[in-house]
Amino acid sequence: GAMEGGGNSKGTGLGGLFGAGGVGYSHADLAGVPLTGMSPLSPYLNLDPRYLVQDTDEFILPTGANKTRGRFELAFFTIGGCCMTGAAFGALNGLRLGLKETQNMAWSKPRNVQILNMVTRQGALWANTLGSLALLYSAFGVIIEKTRGAEDDLNTIAAGTLTGMLYKSTGGVRGIARGGIAGLTLTGLYALYNNWEHMKGSLTRQSL
Amino acid sequence: MEEYAREPCPWRIVDDCGGAFTMGAIGGGIFQAIKGFRNSPVGVNHRLRGSLTAIKTRAPQLGGSFAVWGGLFSMIDCSMVRMRGKEDPWNSITSGALTGAILAARNGPVAMVGSAAMGGILLALIEGAGILLTRFASTQFPNGPQISEDPSQLQPSPFGDYRQYQ
Repeated sequence: GAMEGGGNSKGTGLGGLFGAGGVGYSHADLAGVPLTGMSPLSPYLNLDPRYLVQDTDEFILPTGANKTRGRFELAFFTIGGCCMTGAAFGALNGLRLGLKETQNMAWSKPRNVQILNMVTRQGALWANTLGSLALLYSAFGVIIEKTRGAEDDLNTIAAGTLTGMLYKSTGGVRGIARGGIAGLTLTGLYALYNNWEHMKGSLTRQSL
Repeated sequence: MEEYAREPCPWRIVDDCGGAFTMGAIGGGIFQAIKGFRNSPVGVNHRLRGSLTAIKTRAPQLGGSFAVWGGLFSMIDCSMVRMRGKEDPWNSITSGALTGAILAARNGPVAMVGSAAMGGILLALIEGAGILLTRFASTQFPNGPQISEDPSQLQPSPFGDYRQYQ
């Protein structure tokens, strides 16, 4: 009973789809069933079966495994994603710059080559820059997560700030401050965006 | 080390790209730090500054070249998985060779062949090491049915299930 109930969370639709192996009854069906027949059996069985279905997905995990993936497992994906995004946007920017630079040239082979050079150069530049930023951010994130032993948005913001500071560290104190503030702002906005639903919920709960 | 399962296919490209970038940037950073330190004028301050400049300019570039390699490799790998309908070491070896050939395409056919051979051999070495490691690990920690005395089950094929670790 309990194991089957844990598996499918979203009520009627899933219950109907996977009904062959699992529960096979929807909420509405179960809610209408009077449970009086069970109560003489044992008072412990007198439960509303709706409480057996839980809101979150449940998985059986091997011992020692985490429920969510940590920063290290996500690091390569983050870096690769940033790299590819940088390449795409850099290529677009290179196309823009190349078209602008060769505006008064006739449409000819040298013009094509010049634009193509601009595209590849800008693409590589942006990809490298964004990739190294993501690498620094992921490294800081993993280090902070391991030393703190906790995972929340504070890690994100701290890693972003440190990344900005280190990336601009050759530009003197002003550069460090500017980089830190930029990193703080960006990751702060990201954390806000990530928690928007949660915060909205808690705010409305407070105002009520 | 934690067990590192690979991503399912379209996302594997991003993952491999990032892994390659990390490898290139960190390796290039270490290499360039030493090189910049040695190629700078005398004096610890100059040397540290030279090393820092070398890291800042060269490490991201090397990371980028590695990322291109990893991304292209993974794209070919995923295409082959899709076309052949299976995942095995031959996929990786072929995509390593193809990646080498494609990236050397501007240097002429001789360079392409040499680069392809390099890529194929490198990937064959990596895959072979992975298979050996898995076999070694599975002999270290046998977790098959140990109570069973059935002689037909005593010798499971050593190649039986290495694929699930890839």
